[in-house]
Amino acid sequence: MPLRRFLDHLYDAAGYLAAFFVFAIFAVMIGQTAMREVGLPTGGTDDLVAWFTAASAFLAMAHTLKHGDFVRVTLVLQQLSPRRRRALELVSLAVGSVFVGYLAYWSASFVHESWSLGEMAGGLLVIPIWIPQMSFVVGATLLFVALIDEFVLVARGNLPTYTAAVDARHRAGDFSEDL
Amino acid sequence: MNLVEIAGLLLFVMLLLLSCGVWIAMTLAIVGWVGLAFFSSTPPGPNLFTAFWGSNASWTLAALPMFIWMGEILFRTRLSEEMFDGLSPWLNKLPGRLMHVNILGCGIFGSVSGSSAATCATISKVALPELVKRGYDEKTALGSLATAGTLGILIPPSITMVVYAVAADASIIRIFLAGFIPGLILMALFSGYIVVWALVNPEKTPPADAPLSFLQKIRASGNLIPCALLIAFIVWVLIAGLATATECAAYGVLGSLAIAWWSGSLTWENFLGSLMGATRVSCMIMFILAGASFLSLAMAFTGIPRALAEWVASLALSPYMLIAALAGFYIVLGMALDGISMIVLTSAIVLPMIQQAGFDLIWFGVFIVLLVEIAEVTPPVGFNLFVLQNMTGHDSNYIARAAIPFFFMLVIAIAIITVFPRTVTWLPDLVMNK
Repeated sequence: MPLRRFLDHLYDAAGYLAAFFVFAIFAVMIGQTAMREVGLPTGGTDDLVAWFTAASAFLAMAHTLKHGDFVRVTLVLQQLSPRRRRALELVSLAVGSVFVGYLAYWSASFVHESWSLGEMAGGLLVIPIWIPQMSFVVGATLLFVALIDEFVLVARGNLPTYTAAVDARHRAGDFSEDL
Repeated sequence: MNLVEIAGLLLFVMLLLLSCGVWIAMTLAIVGWVGLAFFSSTPPGPNLFTAFWGSNASWTLAALPMFIWMGEILFRTRLSEEMFDGLSPWLNKLPGRLMHVNILGCGIFGSVSGSSAATCATISKVALPELVKRGYDEKTALGSLATAGTLGILIPPSITMVVYAVAADASIIRIFLAGFIPGLILMALFSGYIVVWALVNPEKTPPADAPLSFLQKIRASGNLIPCALLIAFIVWVLIAGLATATECAAYGVLGSLAIAWWSGSLTWENFLGSLMGATRVSCMIMFILAGASFLSLAMAFTGIPRALAEWVASLALSPYMLIAALAGFYIVLGMALDGISMIVLTSAIVLPMIQQAGFDLIWFGVFIVLLVEIAEVTPPVGFNLFVLQNMTGHDSNYIARAAIPFFFMLVIAIAIITVFPRTVTWLPDLVMNK
């Protein structure tokens, strides 16, 4: 099923890009302190770090959802029969999709506006602000697609991908991603 | 509708969405949207964008993925084996013997890790099989590991504290320092309980391992060197003024990578695994923070937090009564929610109330972290219980029962910091010259 493979690759690709930004935060922070020690100017690196942080969070959202790392209360879900559980799962996926669709719409319209007005970043690093803000638009849109994708999967009678992922991880004794 | 009715309606919507299983971050934002769209004249859309972008594009928040990554790297090293070998030779004279490895190990690992479940899992991975093999009482071992694992979020660095500092707009470094002495008090309480327990139940402590000579003990402690060096390195970077509190998180990552490289566990697979894991966990937390920041914004527009704070002030509760009421409230909340959600869900409402009543936000941060620690070991939702359930196959309720005595030690610690608030504020005041 090519669409299935394409979507999974898409979420993972964005996830890897997000991980690259986490690494970039690390590299910039170490570089920044080193440059300060030898007296080089470090203006603008704080803005860079802030944008990288945002990019790492937004771009990873779809991948994180699929991986089952978003927290939710499962107390009620676990008490229900499989049929009712599926129905409630569909309700929460529908609510989530509507909200994230709204979020994606507003991020796109806001960033489109700052692009058409030619708005610049207010910090030391003066670049068009829509460039860093694109991570929000892309991340929210991907999350929206991933939620719709899950809705279709569950409606067709499959177990949600995120539930299966968490169960498999915990069975293997891996808790490194629980706080 | 008056404010009380609005607040009640919003609370109802939140509980309804949460119980349907809607993800917490989305629930927070949806409730915020309802508040803005129906009970204020402010348009929700642009505010939603501003809150999400503003809370995530934050230089302070960059410490979060760094501290999480650090823990993920250390989890994949041999640090826990080394901790057990290094600590155990020194504990044979103490009543309870190797049982204290659980407390000390979690305390030391807590000072390089910012997560409670990671601390619990890392120390239990080695300590539990070793203790059971030697014939120590499994129930007490489980209880102490479940509870001492929560030291990970009290002893700095702490992911929970970073989240609180962002939510309360408080200084990360101050609250880190504030957690230090309460952490030591808590360790003393846990170890004290084990001593008393061992004296009352002498038959439950197996005979000591063959004694080592002093030199052999020193050699065994060489195993603690990597961890000690990492702690010293981070403190040095901070004190020498090389890096700020946020940047020192990046140095923590550097030090952890060095340890992993030194012990030969820095494979490409481990590196990528830790980086991806850290990305997902911090994405999850930042999504919740973004939702919570939109909710806080919406709440401020509706005027509910102010009204509630004034109402609490009008009750004229004594500070102790207010604290006792909040402690009870958070313990109940902690049965169903995880710590991060607990903090961000309530900060919009509780923090103004606390400030109105004249409490220090740093002190309250440590107070709330102690309550989050309780939440980690109270069923039905307590993450350390889940960790140990999967590691041992014991039911989480059994582990929760085993943790009850240690649960009371946490309550005593809360009482101590409430009666003697200087235990929290003394160290940050000393270091920050205030």
